[in-house]
Amino acid sequence: MSVPGMTETTEAVARARAGDADAWGELYRDFAPAIFRFCRRALPTREDAEDATMEIFMKLRDKLSQYDETRSFSAWLYRVAANHCWDILRRRKIRQDKETDDVENVPLEHPDPNQLDKLIEQKTSEEVRKALHKLGARARMALVLRYYSDMSYDEIADELGVRRAFVGVVLLRARHELRQALEGKSALAAGGTS
Amino acid sequence: MREPANPVSPEGPGGTMDHLDEMTCLLYAERQLDRVRAQAVSAHTQDCAACRTLLRALDRESRLLTRAMLEEDEPLPSRLAEFQERARKSFGWIWGVIFGLAATGVYALYTTFVEPWQTRLQEAGFGGTSLLSLLVFQGAFWKGWQSVITLLEVLAMLTVAGFGVAVFRKRLRRGSALALVLAGLCAALALPAPAGATEFHKGDTYELAKDETVKSDIFITGARARIDGTVEGDLFFFGQSIDISGHIKGDAIVFAQSVRINGQIDGNVRSFTNNLTITGTVGKNVLTFNEVVNLDSAGKVGGSLTAFSQSVGIDGKLGRDLLLMDGETTISGTVDGEVRVKGHNMSIGSSAQVAGPIRFEGDNPVSVSSGAKLATPVVYTKREHRSQYREGHYYIWRVIWTAAFVLLGLVLFLLLPKFAGETVSAGERVGAPLGLGVLVFFGVPIAAVIACVTVVGIPVGLLTLGIWILAINCAEIVVGTVVGSWILGNASDTWGLIGRMALGFVLVRIVYTPLSQLHVIGSLVGLGIWMWGMGAISLALYNRFSPRVSPNAVAGSMPPVSLPPHTTVGGIQPA
Repeated sequence: MSVPGMTETTEAVARARAGDADAWGELYRDFAPAIFRFCRRALPTREDAEDATMEIFMKLRDKLSQYDETRSFSAWLYRVAANHCWDILRRRKIRQDKETDDVENVPLEHPDPNQLDKLIEQKTSEEVRKALHKLGARARMALVLRYYSDMSYDEIADELGVRRAFVGVVLLRARHELRQALEGKSALAAGGTS
Repeated sequence: MREPANPVSPEGPGGTMDHLDEMTCLLYAERQLDRVRAQAVSAHTQDCAACRTLLRALDRESRLLTRAMLEEDEPLPSRLAEFQERARKSFGWIWGVIFGLAATGVYALYTTFVEPWQTRLQEAGFGGTSLLSLLVFQGAFWKGWQSVITLLEVLAMLTVAGFGVAVFRKRLRRGSALALVLAGLCAALALPAPAGATEFHKGDTYELAKDETVKSDIFITGARARIDGTVEGDLFFFGQSIDISGHIKGDAIVFAQSVRINGQIDGNVRSFTNNLTITGTVGKNVLTFNEVVNLDSAGKVGGSLTAFSQSVGIDGKLGRDLLLMDGETTISGTVDGEVRVKGHNMSIGSSAQVAGPIRFEGDNPVSVSSGAKLATPVVYTKREHRSQYREGHYYIWRVIWTAAFVLLGLVLFLLLPKFAGETVSAGERVGAPLGLGVLVFFGVPIAAVIACVTVVGIPVGLLTLGIWILAINCAEIVVGTVVGSWILGNASDTWGLIGRMALGFVLVRIVYTPLSQLHVIGSLVGLGIWMWGMGAISLALYNRFSPRVSPNAVAGSMPPVSLPPHTTVGGIQPA
């Protein structure tokens, strides 16, 4: 994730707040690629991600006055983006993944470490990205918040509206779903060749 | 909800059998365990190779996930790259032009349609110096429509409230939203109620006997109705035929094939019918849209009669003015006001008496019998049937309307860029949207009328008709955009789509304008454009609301990218 230096960003934010169009352009140029990628990972289609990126930056213009300059701008921006994407997913009612009641039933068995290791060894980043899009919205969003935005468990709990104690469970379930998606793809390929 | 089981206790690692469970390993790997538990896990992994392997596998999985997410596999789309520049541009001039042209459109609408109507209504005896005062303050035109207006007002209020809640929903907490809904309900309940509760009757036939009285409004749907008794409020009828021989103290609003008024109506009559025959008495005004109107020799209308009909016969007595747009007019009775008629033929019988001036604009001179008693001579104006296509102002207005539609398209595309793109994509398939368009074009109005016939369905029916009319107006824009995309290729962004829309729309207009003069072909082409556009809109709506399946990510070869590890894993000890 290419993020500009802290000083430049703070200065650009201050100028953008003052209505400087060039500063706004700088912020957009610096952060739009990362935010687009975030949306691309979180939302189902490329078009959704494009729309969402534009909407986030439009929203940002209004919200910039609320930004607390003592905090990291990129972290704050990701919170805005996460809120927006999660809102989109909720509006579409495609939260087909399990709600928190099911979260309790997460299996706690000890997986075969060697098999897991082998699966991870075989898979490429591209296969993981494809598998990500087969996950439920909550699972995908949880993984994106954690492994793309580097959000803390508290922040993830806040975004997804679950108790902090269950964030680990949501992430573990998401990993299980991801593994199943990865295995399903490979099983299919194997079936096709045998 | 229970807390997730945590087999790692301060006393030592737990879990299934002799190993740590995966949850504990993940929390440890992500540094989410407290110090005591983390130490217990660490101690366990010193001796347990399986758990150590699991921890490493989870760590590798985290790194793989991070790498997969952070890799720059797709460049920033050009649409987003351009967005920065576009966002900086001021849209002020666009909105200025839009409002300017909208004002022009409103003025054109007023001078083309509203003003002539206003003049004619004034001539018909409704009075008023402006349309606003006529409609709102005097309420003459709408007299008798109060119930319908109230319904529409409630519907409009609910729509506005719904829109407001939708717009401000993010600013409202659940409690506030609930309070708002409750307040809205209270306000709706506090609306002034009608004088009495309306009676509803639904069935094949309805009959109000001579000695019966309905003390409120009455709403009837059915094939036939007969009113011999008394209705103290208004009468509403949707059905095939109605015979009013009793006494209606309010107004009569009738949608029927055949209406016969033998009795007395103290208020107004508003009818959308095939035949209207008045042999009784109407205390106030009659406004009717139908084929045949007969004011029988025994019939009386206290106010004016305004009709849009094929044939009108006035044998009875009319208290005020007669305003007609019809084919054939025959006056053999008495008109105490002015007569103004626009039609094909008009004849005035020997028993006719007209107290005011008579103006007729038609194809043939008025035939006046010698015995007719007229206050002034008939003023006849021959109607000219000049082709509008030979007149310059037709083309000027055509250009203005084209510009207005292009601007409407621009606004819609800017407001709904994604849906616009989906609609155009749907339109490019031609066959499917045309087929669906035929269904929607004919089916929706029928469904709306059926909904209107049922009492509860009136708001739904009116709303459906409104959406249908809106879709018709947008159809040509959609077709224009499809044509533009065929010529220039598919657009990659909204402004590209708008450009194609403008080009295509103008081309469609240029091609269609001469074609529209050929009656059959012109009508067919026009219908085809409507159906195609409506079908595309319907198809896009269908696609939008049908269940979505998450598509796979864009495939493509991925260059190996070396990225620094980005996980927070740190609790794992080297093997």
